[in-house]
Amino acid sequence: MKRDDTVPYPSPVTHGSAPSTQQPRPVEPLLALRGVTKRFGGATALDGVDFELMPGEIHGLLGENGAGKSTLMKILSGFQAPDEGEMTLRGAPICFSSPAEAKAHGIGMVYQELSTIGALSVAENVFLGDQPTTRGGIINWKQMNAAAEAQLRELGVRVDVTRRLGALPLGLQQMVEIARIVFSGAEVVILDEPTSALSAPEAERLFASMRELRARGKSLIFISHFLEDVLAVADRVTILKNARRVATMPAAGLTKQRLIEMMIGRDASALAATYQEGVELPPPVEAPPVLEIEGLSIPGAVRGASLTVRAGEIVGLFGFLGSGMTEIARALFGQVQPQAGVIRLNGRPVQVHSSTQAKRLGIAYLSENRRATLFPRQEIYKNVTLAHLDHLVPPLFRRGSELGIAEQMVKRTGVRPPNPHLLAGYLSGGNQQKVVLGRWLTRQPKLLILNEPTRGMDVGAKREVLDLIKGLKAEGVAVLLLSAEPETVMTEADRILVMSKGRVTKEFASERVSKDLLMAHA
Amino acid sequence: MAKDMPQGVGTGAASVAPARPRASGWARILGWAGQRARLIAPLVTLLGLVVFFSLTTDSFFTTRNLWNGILSQYAVVAVAAAGTTFVLLCAEIDLSIAAVSLLIGVLSAYFWVTPVAGIDFGTWGVLIGLIAAALIGYMNGYFAAYIRIPSFMMTLAMSTIALGLAVWVTQGKPIFKVPDLLRTLGGTGSKIGPVPVPVIVAAVVLLVADIVLSYTKFGRYVYMTGGNCEAAEMSGVNTRQVVALCLMISGLTAGMAGMLNVGKLNGANPQPSNELLIFTIASVVLGGTSLFGGEGGIKNTLIGVLIFGCLRNGLNQVEGISIYIKQAVEGFFLVGALLLNVVALRLERIRTQAE
Ligand SMILES: Nc1ncnc2c1ncn2[C@@H]1O[C@H](COP(=O)(O)OP(=O)(O)OP(=O)(O)O)[C@@H](O)[C@H]1O
Ligand SMILES: [Mg+2]
Repeated sequence: MKRDDTVPYPSPVTHGSAPSTQQPRPVEPLLALRGVTKRFGGATALDGVDFELMPGEIHGLLGENGAGKSTLMKILSGFQAPDEGEMTLRGAPICFSSPAEAKAHGIGMVYQELSTIGALSVAENVFLGDQPTTRGGIINWKQMNAAAEAQLRELGVRVDVTRRLGALPLGLQQMVEIARIVFSGAEVVILDEPTSALSAPEAERLFASMRELRARGKSLIFISHFLEDVLAVADRVTILKNARRVATMPAAGLTKQRLIEMMIGRDASALAATYQEGVELPPPVEAPPVLEIEGLSIPGAVRGASLTVRAGEIVGLFGFLGSGMTEIARALFGQVQPQAGVIRLNGRPVQVHSSTQAKRLGIAYLSENRRATLFPRQEIYKNVTLAHLDHLVPPLFRRGSELGIAEQMVKRTGVRPPNPHLLAGYLSGGNQQKVVLGRWLTRQPKLLILNEPTRGMDVGAKREVLDLIKGLKAEGVAVLLLSAEPETVMTEADRILVMSKGRVTKEFASERVSKDLLMAHA
Repeated sequence: MAKDMPQGVGTGAASVAPARPRASGWARILGWAGQRARLIAPLVTLLGLVVFFSLTTDSFFTTRNLWNGILSQYAVVAVAAAGTTFVLLCAEIDLSIAAVSLLIGVLSAYFWVTPVAGIDFGTWGVLIGLIAAALIGYMNGYFAAYIRIPSFMMTLAMSTIALGLAVWVTQGKPIFKVPDLLRTLGGTGSKIGPVPVPVIVAAVVLLVADIVLSYTKFGRYVYMTGGNCEAAEMSGVNTRQVVALCLMISGLTAGMAGMLNVGKLNGANPQPSNELLIFTIASVVLGGTSLFGGEGGIKNTLIGVLIFGCLRNGLNQVEGISIYIKQAVEGFFLVGALLLNVVALRLERIRTQAE
């Protein structure tokens, strides 16, 4: 995708209502941070960071896991207060004491972790906090539902807005959260990894909405580890590294490789592969099948899907939102009951009724939803060892053995800071993901189902973790790898199945596949 | 970390900042204290109370008062609180503690004096009482975890059932004969050296509970279920079973508390009272165990019971508090102690990302 402007930031279009956009050039920053420092205990999350956001620009914010991106944005949106430094809004010093105050000043943020409420309806979530009311102060349901539906349609989402949000797939929940902020009328919209739970079509529609907001003179900040996306939508990018700002520069003319160099600071060519030209899938694995699924049907999700995974084989399952991949995984882990079809494990038909039984059968499942995987208020080591306590530790714990295992896993997955006693909720998003992935790597199951295992990880971490998963092949583990991200399945899988609308539409084995080819069948 | 590192801003010249040092010793110490705020805060409250009452009264800080006035008096609460801790840790609640303890106390005395179906159970009645307590607790747990009746409602209903049964068994009349065993275990007069036996019983129960919670897989599952039930389920933890067992444990300890109480009072009176329930939950929460699950433990509960015991015992001895206003004053002190805990925790606790 080509950008249409090459100036550092586009000249603001002034049919919006923002007063500051009327100013003559040079344009003053809409929002600026000077020398912001934030410490958590002994760790420095931000160290004298400057940041400025221009009116009418999309500003990409990049950096490794734990670089401080989310922290910086939480300070902008009033969720956290800086230890040092100052902030100005339209040139005037300002200091927010709560997200509500920031919102009143026109700053809205989509957090990295969902902040929607599963028990409420979709429409209620879209208007969380300011539902339209009748004169008597009673919620005007009709108006609210209609408005929510219209807003979601603009983002290309068609759902029954009266449904309970928690019943929707994660990607849709994410879209609802985005709709809430994007259409709240905020002057500054901050999106912290909004696309990590989305597949390509939703992401494209989000980008279109972002561009439209920019055309209306709003400013956006976009955090993502999908560097191509950032290059495609952002006017300028800021790169953070180890709590400092490395650079702020126009996105035009930057390459993925250059970005990685600045983010990681070492040779980036190996990580910069774009997969545009495709990869060659390896020759087929000759081993007995561990998992065979035949004609599996789940009402409303899967229609007669069949697949096989052999020992020591990684099968990639690629599909967009609503493809039904996640439901297959959930059925294998006893979370939904299939209506029809057979599941065979090592040749024996099984019916899985609960996660406990699945675990006993040697099935492990990493959910795509971090809310369903992480224990934020528990230590990292407890997060890591939970699934395999039976095998890892003696009946009465001796702290040492458990800690040793956790420490090793923390090292292997590269969790930062590598302190297993830290509460997991204090880690950055990508590092939380390393912890929950580590939980399933502490002991080899027979069948490992990974749903978006690298969600939110930076390019370097992604590569390292994928190498770890590849290492399981040698141990004879059968791996089913679900992802809406073509790169993930392409780097790893021996075979790739593409799913669409509940069916397996295409199988690729020992041939050349490319991103476009995969997308074409999804 | 050098603050004067050049920042290549606005140009393509990116400077590479030095790698951040790994978690320093300082970070570890802060992390250590931060994670123990939940224990340190109530400990400070307890110390504050002890100092306060020692200064304002002559009789509070005496060996006699400490053993007989506080430790021995609140041993029953401690036993019940040990089980309640399990329930709160997995984010459920048990409102049937008082009623179950009453019923089980009554039952054990009833079996002592009355042959049932021609069999004179004698001291075996105590065992039957314990089994009944565990069964009642498990029923709470079964309906809460598997049938998904909120534990709040289920245990409230069970409370009514247990009370009704207690009245029915005794036909509303008190029983004045209690098993010798219970008089030994629960009686305020029975001592080993200077140590009242009920205190030893409570200590043993707390110790066993602490070992189970801190050093067994089941204990870990309790914390993880309370911390994030969905995530525990998705890690292959049988969360329903965990919840059911926690309520069973709570029923069991409530029953034990009821028996100790019978021994202490030297009689079983089917008079409904929710005192034990309020005392128990107040103690656990005062100790810093979260009502929302996953955080806290037996060490907290021990401190909580002591805070509660000191508070009530101490206030009793402060001169010049009218007997009529005493209960209200007690309530105010309770709120104050809770406030102290909450504030201390807030100060230490940095807002988590995934809250
Ligand atoms: N509440 C907290 N308590 C303690 N440490 C924290 C807290 N929040 C963030 N940190 C630490 O601050 C650093 C920066 O975290 P931040 O979430 O800003 O990273 P990030 O750039 O958003 O990374 P990611 O790409 O993984 O989301 C990390 O080392 C993290 O562990
Ligand atoms: Mg982040």
